[in-house]
Amino acid sequence: MVDPFRNRTVIACLMLPGLAVLAFALLVPLGFSVHFSLTDSAGFGAYQYVGLDNYRSIFTDDPVFWRSLRNVLLLIAVTVLVQNPIAFLLAAILARLSARVSRVLRTIYFVPAVLSLVIVARMWVDIFNPTFGALDKGLRAVGLDALAVSWLSDPRTALGAVIWIITWQGFGWALLFYYAGLMTVPRELEEAARVDGASWFQVYTRVVIPYLVPVISTVVVIDVISSMKQMELIYLTTAGAPGQLTQFLAVYLYQKAFVAGEYGYGNAISVLFVIISVTLTVLVQRVLRALPDEK
Amino acid sequence: MRRARTVAGMGAIHVGLVLFAFLQLFPLLWVFVYSLQRSGDLFGNDLLRLPDDPQWSNYARAWVDGRVVRYGLNSLIVVSAATAASTFLSFCMGYAIARMRWRLRRLAMGAITMGMVVPIHATLLPNFIWFGYFGLIDTRIGLIIPYVAFTLSFNTLVYAGHLRNLPVALEEAALVDGASWPRVLWSVVAPLATPATVTVAVMTFLACWNEFIMANTYLASDDLRTLPFSIIRFEGEYSSDYAVQFACMVIVAVPALALYLFFSRHIMAGATAGAVRE
Amino acid sequence: MMKRTAFLALALATALLPASRAAAQTKVTLKMGDNLPDRTNTWGAIVEQINKEFKAAHPGVEIVTESYLDQPYQQKVKIYATARQLPDVFKFWSFTSLLKPLIDGGFVAPLVRADFEGLGYLPGALDANTYGGKLYGIPVSTDLWVIYYNKKLFKEAGVERVPATVDELIALVPRFKARGIIPMTTDGKDAWPLSVTFDQLAWRISGDRTLPRQALERKVKFTDPVFVQAARELQRMVKSGLFQEDLMVSDYGAARNLFGQGKAAMYLMGSWELGLAAGNTFSAEFRASVDVFKFPTVTGGKGTIDDLFAWYGGNYVVSASSKNVALGRQYLLFYARRFPVLAWEKQAALPAQTVKPRPSDTPLARSILRIVAEARATSGTPALDLSTPRFKDDAENAVRELCSGLITPEAYVKKLDKAAEKAARK
Repeated sequence: MVDPFRNRTVIACLMLPGLAVLAFALLVPLGFSVHFSLTDSAGFGAYQYVGLDNYRSIFTDDPVFWRSLRNVLLLIAVTVLVQNPIAFLLAAILARLSARVSRVLRTIYFVPAVLSLVIVARMWVDIFNPTFGALDKGLRAVGLDALAVSWLSDPRTALGAVIWIITWQGFGWALLFYYAGLMTVPRELEEAARVDGASWFQVYTRVVIPYLVPVISTVVVIDVISSMKQMELIYLTTAGAPGQLTQFLAVYLYQKAFVAGEYGYGNAISVLFVIISVTLTVLVQRVLRALPDEK
Repeated sequence: MRRARTVAGMGAIHVGLVLFAFLQLFPLLWVFVYSLQRSGDLFGNDLLRLPDDPQWSNYARAWVDGRVVRYGLNSLIVVSAATAASTFLSFCMGYAIARMRWRLRRLAMGAITMGMVVPIHATLLPNFIWFGYFGLIDTRIGLIIPYVAFTLSFNTLVYAGHLRNLPVALEEAALVDGASWPRVLWSVVAPLATPATVTVAVMTFLACWNEFIMANTYLASDDLRTLPFSIIRFEGEYSSDYAVQFACMVIVAVPALALYLFFSRHIMAGATAGAVRE
Repeated sequence: MMKRTAFLALALATALLPASRAAAQTKVTLKMGDNLPDRTNTWGAIVEQINKEFKAAHPGVEIVTESYLDQPYQQKVKIYATARQLPDVFKFWSFTSLLKPLIDGGFVAPLVRADFEGLGYLPGALDANTYGGKLYGIPVSTDLWVIYYNKKLFKEAGVERVPATVDELIALVPRFKARGIIPMTTDGKDAWPLSVTFDQLAWRISGDRTLPRQALERKVKFTDPVFVQAARELQRMVKSGLFQEDLMVSDYGAARNLFGQGKAAMYLMGSWELGLAAGNTFSAEFRASVDVFKFPTVTGGKGTIDDLFAWYGGNYVVSASSKNVALGRQYLLFYARRFPVLAWEKQAALPAQTVKPRPSDTPLARSILRIVAEARATSGTPALDLSTPRFKDDAENAVRELCSGLITPEAYVKKLDKAAEKAARK
């Protein structure tokens, strides 16, 4: 019998419409981007071709670009190594609670993810305010005056504060994915392991997590990409301040292309952005694929 | 002894969960409290203190001056259409990637993943011109297409991830029984993929509901504008009507919250239905 | 016979029908753009009023306005320019960094200067919008760099007179801080207020208002001692605790509200904030206490206190590719006649034209008019906006680093100079 899973017609029908949309709205502008990255365009009006000059500048004369990249990598590390495990742990705890309590809590925990980024940004700017914000007021109230700094404008704490805001806002998504994933783990698998005398810790590390590697892999890839694309939360809080210490790639790209009128240069950053993102994603997927996948 | 430790442990966990819940709810409380103030009273007052004279009129003003009905309707149309299209297309592609066997599969997945990394701001100017050739600027469909495009990659990834985990036996059985592919996908696979579908739909809806910069670029007519524009109607060049703006933000957040509340139940239902295994 | 008449009548009627429809269709739509999304308050409301009056005076004209926030608006204008779809008339800025690229690209239609003489424009206002000898836009506001202050807070802190020098200003810091009051606020997040202040200080020290322009033309350098000293003064102001603690992330609205709520004693900003004393955003008590004083001098500097840092920022222009250029120009003339009257009435802005003081003017408005009257010299556009957009971005980033204490004044002026060199080379 011909393998129905190799049916070319079906595959084409399934793939082509989606691919067409992607090509239309993403591939074409990407092409434009590459084109503009080879010019000195200001975004409108006449421009000239400058070959690889923009790229050369980025590699030899642009410390801000590399700082932005470093900050993004730091954000990815914190998201994958700190936010995700906490979300997973919380999802596991919620999975053990009664259905009703679990649902109420899950709904509450997801609230920040639903709100507009404008609200989240304004709120945290307010909380972090050194004179009137809740955080410093609280610290002073318990006598920890030395810790009551200007979180978003002090060079020592600004980056941490921004990373905190971003990972806090994205927490609900990680929770959602891990919870949905945990729901797909067959009860029998866990029970069998428990019957074999495994502790909760072992059940999770030897059975559940390996089972969920595809889900974890998905979430980590999403983490990497959404971290790279983070723009609004940074722009609305520090916009890179103090100096360029909290600059991130997507914000830098925007500022160069649209604020500084260096549209060609901004597009060069954009092209590198895509290349770096794809490289990171492929790397991450390779690493995760190498992990044992228990089925 | 062991029991006492577990009870204390459980207690600590419960306290932690409640505290965490407060932290997550805080922004909603914050924006609500501020929405009842006078615009001039923001930025500097004590935290979370309900004003002595709550300005409920802020909500009335937000509703009327923010053109909430008109913009809200537009948002509903555009975002629902985009969500439906994106969910459907990503389900198809996710299945083809996860289940079908074909040589270009890896390449296609790579290409789709690459779709995720394109920064939105780099597409604004080129798309404005490109869409313009097709007369798509200042139309609803001209906004729906990029919304679908930007969510398609994530959604396909999610579907592929979940579909890969499902046992193939049921589909094989249906195919052997002579069911056509559309029937297999609709009656067998789709129900099992419900948790993923709900996740994808909710994610897409929320991403598009608050989206601003693309709507700002591709729309011009006031009659087509979406809900995020309600909020900027209260920004003047130098001073803004902050409190009314906050009231508007609360109004805009309500449908998104309601949607999530409604569907969170379905994640559970879908999950238990999908647990029918060997 | 009858049939033929009937047929002719019918033919005539059918022939006339489209003509009559065309006659009714002489509706012209004037497309407009601005950065005033709020149409019920201040400036936005005034424009709505002007539009209403214009439509009444020109039946058959419909006006459709697209309003955006500042940043998205500038972006949209660029996109529209590229697609040759600019609004017929739109609000913009006279700055070299913003307007010149549009002019160079042929996107803006020149205006007939003679039409606008005799409308009471203040000296230099029309010049600010003139490039290559042609007038391209009408200025709508006069922007002065001043310091607002809260008389009540000054009295409570025992400060009897406004500071006349920067040293006196800094000396006030501990007195306000002792009472838990922020001495001064400004918008640090957007950086340009700090850059303007740097320009202002440079003028106070050198007495020569053309120095920044000369530096941009590479006749002098930004690394000259005058600029180093100005940078030093600016950094000293920030380091002394004069401003709000989170200055660099504190945006326009936050700075303004802190002052309006009586949490700060002074507010470093432009004359467009004269509306602080009017409207009902802030308390009546505040409105009665707010006044303004001139930016202080620098001890030992050659500049005087009546060297007024003033420019004409906002303007309105007509798109060159518009199908209604003539109508657009008419609109600008109409706007030029009505705006100063309405704006002063509502105390929404300080127009670029002379205004008649009214008995109902607030003390703040009167002080501003007095400052204008007493000015001996005016500066023109700040250096930040006299060059390319790239220079502006570089300059803003540099001043951010200076005021965050991350670089020295010497390093700051070096960066400025490097940016100026780059801009001049283009």
